[in-house]
Amino acid sequence: MKYELVSGFETHVELATSTKIFCGCTTAFGGAPNTHCCPVCTGQPGALPVLNKKVVDFAVRAGLALHCKINTVTHLDRKNYCYPDLPKAYQISQYDKPLCEGGYVELPGGKKIGITRIHIEEDAGKLVHERGFTFIDYNRGGVPLIEIVSEPDISSPTEAREYVEQLRQIMRYIGVSDCKMQEGSMRCDVNVSVRPEGSTALGTRTEIKNMNSLNFIERAMEYEFARQVDVLKDGGEIEQATLRFDEKTGETYVMRTKEDAQDYRYFPEPDIFDIIIPDEVVAREKEALPELPLEKTTRYINVLGISPSVAALITKHRKVADYFEKAVKAGAAASRAANFIVGVVYSTLSTEEEKDELSIKVSPEELAELVRLTESGAVNVTVAQSALSKMLASGLPLSEYIAAEDMKGVDDGELERICAEAVKNNPRAVADFKAGKEKAISALYGYVKRATQGKADIKKADAVIKRLI
Amino acid sequence: MAISTDEIKALARLAKLEFDDERCETFKEEFNEIIEFAGKINGAIVGNSSDIREIVGEETQYAELREDEERESLPPEKITSGAEAQNGYFTVRRVVK
Ligand SMILES: [Zn+2]
Repeated sequence: MKYELVSGFETHVELATSTKIFCGCTTAFGGAPNTHCCPVCTGQPGALPVLNKKVVDFAVRAGLALHCKINTVTHLDRKNYCYPDLPKAYQISQYDKPLCEGGYVELPGGKKIGITRIHIEEDAGKLVHERGFTFIDYNRGGVPLIEIVSEPDISSPTEAREYVEQLRQIMRYIGVSDCKMQEGSMRCDVNVSVRPEGSTALGTRTEIKNMNSLNFIERAMEYEFARQVDVLKDGGEIEQATLRFDEKTGETYVMRTKEDAQDYRYFPEPDIFDIIIPDEVVAREKEALPELPLEKTTRYINVLGISPSVAALITKHRKVADYFEKAVKAGAAASRAANFIVGVVYSTLSTEEEKDELSIKVSPEELAELVRLTESGAVNVTVAQSALSKMLASGLPLSEYIAAEDMKGVDDGELERICAEAVKNNPRAVADFKAGKEKAISALYGYVKRATQGKADIKKADAVIKRLI
Repeated sequence: MAISTDEIKALARLAKLEFDDERCETFKEEFNEIIEFAGKINGAIVGNSSDIREIVGEETQYAELREDEERESLPPEKITSGAEAQNGYFTVRRVVK
């Protein structure tokens, strides 16, 4: 029997607010232990939580970006569990009335992954286990999170990667989170079950906790899928369990089984009454939504005529997309500008983070000027690309690298003369070309390039040569 | 409303308390007295909702929420003053093996 993978994700995304969800302490990453703490976020008796307005704004925005319905009357609940990362022995979260419900994330191939719900909650503190002690730092305790719960619509590790990448891009585009997986500001719990191919029933699932790397997510899913199929093929049953993925061995291990599943005893948070969100707030957030990455990619391909692979590379980073659009607005031919960015600018930015930041020394207007000169034939592509690399390295203006006479290119009379020379000196290539070997003409292009030190516009030269022979 | 022995056992497990069977029974009796006493509040509730929020009937308007403005945190020595701490960290007996 063949089996298929069924997976749903619970993704925690840390919101980019300045302060915590229920108090005015900073959300800055790191800091000396327990220096970002107050009576509220350390759960001192009598301290009262007051919800941060921006958490609501950001969560509404995230919900709208994922096509969710917004519950404008919502409330918070206490999720009780006893572990030292929670000073109050409960986490303020949402249970039966999440802020957002029923949306989807579209993958690049068009498949939609359903979003069950998005709720707001507070993050827990950080524990370090050393010697006979557990050391506790509550700086992260109370940092606002949204938990995005997907439907079990993901059917391969590749789709899982696409889903997380889309989610990450969207959250970054709308400015609600930096989604730095390494710093833990985006982390996933991955549910995995298997079922006979073609079946619609859901198998017993296991949950792999706290994954914060795309590669590990893919590996863990592959491992867990194979493990479950093996169990079933041996006539066994899958036991519902919470698992941990060991990055060193590439295997999953049981943390706890259904037997010791926690009873969280959810109940309404008595310190905060029902929250009423006016329709105007939802409308305002909807209005402010930027064009999302996948919409942008489609527009670049269909309207600007950019190849799908290049379009995807540009829209992956919002700052790059903004830069590109500014260059186009300044008059650059879209396709050429995109190729210069992906071919030249990207070669100077080695990491994804550097592309995200895009702090480069060439303005979009300068890029547009260079593209314009290239398109008009005043400067050929090789010269333009090398000038662009030099500008990116030095920060000096275009005029430093492209001499005035270069910008003029080769004048028509001169080009006519050189092309005639090329034809005269390459009788063999001319004969071959005439006999139908189209590629033979490249020998003539080569001649023109050498004779003009690469300054000639080959498109123009091509026309001249073909006229002459 | 009376509480069962099984419920006492479940609560004890959640509260990380160890009760033997005898203690469980005496605790059950005491606990039921407390519940009975607390049950008096039911007489004061108007209507038939069991949802505390409906009973209280209060709401938080969006405009009343806190602006995202930073306020000074407490000095760390004050934060940890009521607890065991080392080098600025709260400490407890190691919770994982
Ligand atoms: Zn605080």
